[in-house]
Amino acid sequence: MKVNMEKIEKNMVALEIEVEQSKLEEAMEKAYKKIVKKVSIPGFRKGKAPRVLVENHVGKDYINEEALDFVVPEAYFEAIKETEIEPIDKPKVDIVQLEDGKPFIFKATVEVKPEVELGEYIGIEVERKEDLITDADVEAELERLRNRHAQLVNIEEGASEEKDTVVIDFEGFVDDVAFQGGTGTDYSLELGSGTFIPGFEEQVVGAKVGEVRDVNVKFPEDYHSTELAGKDAVFKVTVKGIKRKELADLDDEFAKDVSEFETLEELKNDIMNRLKEAAGKQAAARVKDELVEKVVENSSVEVPDIMVDQKVDNMLQSFSQRLGMQGLSLEDYLKHTNNDIDTVRSEYRSSAEKAVRVDLILEAIAAKENIEAAEEEVDTKVAEMAKNYNSEPDVFKQWLESGGNLEPLKKSIVIDKTVELLEEKAVVK
Amino acid sequence: MRNPRDVLKKPIVSERSMGLMEQNKYSFYVEPKANKIEIKNAVEELFKVTVTGVNTMNVKGKAKRVGKHTGRTSDRKKAIVTLKQGDKIEIMEGM
Repeated sequence: MKVNMEKIEKNMVALEIEVEQSKLEEAMEKAYKKIVKKVSIPGFRKGKAPRVLVENHVGKDYINEEALDFVVPEAYFEAIKETEIEPIDKPKVDIVQLEDGKPFIFKATVEVKPEVELGEYIGIEVERKEDLITDADVEAELERLRNRHAQLVNIEEGASEEKDTVVIDFEGFVDDVAFQGGTGTDYSLELGSGTFIPGFEEQVVGAKVGEVRDVNVKFPEDYHSTELAGKDAVFKVTVKGIKRKELADLDDEFAKDVSEFETLEELKNDIMNRLKEAAGKQAAARVKDELVEKVVENSSVEVPDIMVDQKVDNMLQSFSQRLGMQGLSLEDYLKHTNNDIDTVRSEYRSSAEKAVRVDLILEAIAAKENIEAAEEEVDTKVAEMAKNYNSEPDVFKQWLESGGNLEPLKKSIVIDKTVELLEEKAVVK
Repeated sequence: MRNPRDVLKKPIVSERSMGLMEQNKYSFYVEPKANKIEIKNAVEELFKVTVTGVNTMNVKGKAKRVGKHTGRTSDRKKAIVTLKQGDKIEIMEGM
């Protein structure tokens, strides 16, 4: 086999591949064997007709075409290996010469990964911005804890206040007619939570137990039920009970209740440490992001549409998988959100473009720095994943391999390592 | 004397006839009234070969019916002609 590579335009490569005649003959024999089983020629049982007769019967072109199905992919993949190009699309195949007794020549035109013009990526300056954790943050966290562990206490006397939870019966009327979904009994409503339509909760504030109030509200224009949107409504609300959150005192007792610590001081320290750790992680992630962003900015690459499309496909697929976990199909989701697939695709497009760009550039750096995923690293990663899936590492690895998922995994390891390298070489301020 | 082109009607193309070709035997449908000598002469003249033997058989037409009408396909005569070793009828090779 002879391969002639020629660059026709940016990212487009034409391969002229010459296949020996014997190879073509082999493929034609294979094609004949496949076809002969399907054609019935008078005088012969199926599959028994001689080749010349079959050729006359179905036409030589048909056999040629079938033969190409065998010979072209094989030759094409061999050619890719030989020329070490990285195609990102299916090739367009043009036949140059296909004659008896002559080598078979065809031309495959295919889009390849774009070349990346790497900019500076060593010694990038990034600033590490870590959020300072102050006592105020700790206090806020404590407050949240208090709220979470607050107890609801029934209030018999007095009026309801903002933040109280009231138990109400309600009946809604539009133009003095009760409407569907407008009634409820023993409904627990936290005032100020914004669960009901605007204006409702505010008008219940100040009501006492046993009180009946008329609440006048106007449905918002963008209310999900078109029948009610924009209409004035009156709700007859009966307050049956008021519950108020009783916050525990901040003392050692509280610390014991909500945590494994003995004293409030210890709890505070723990919160402080946890917040600091989280802030540190966040800062590290931010440094990484910024670093990658800067490197990407310095480099330039023309992202091919086809790769973006593939990325969008990937994203959609994982999205629909996530939906599937919730028992939804993508179609349902689209119907529900009144979207069609094209708008969703175009929404994904810009982030997909960015992701592809980042990948391309990081890959280019990896190639330049000879970063590769070592066998052990792959194994550790596989073992980690296997643990998550409750599976044996060996079994899991085989499963990955059979699904063609080992390559992407290796790629992601390489990318991680590349980012690590960038970080090592970067100047973090 | 019949014209050789009237004696030989058409070659027989079938699994069996293809198999016989390997033994240098060629099969034809021939004019039912023709005899072996006429067949031999016809083959020798048309294909410029030497015939060493001719076997013939009469094939009765089959009864066919379309609805209530009965009919017959025509009777035919088959001839299997053996050639001298080395001789060949090129156009029938791989027909």
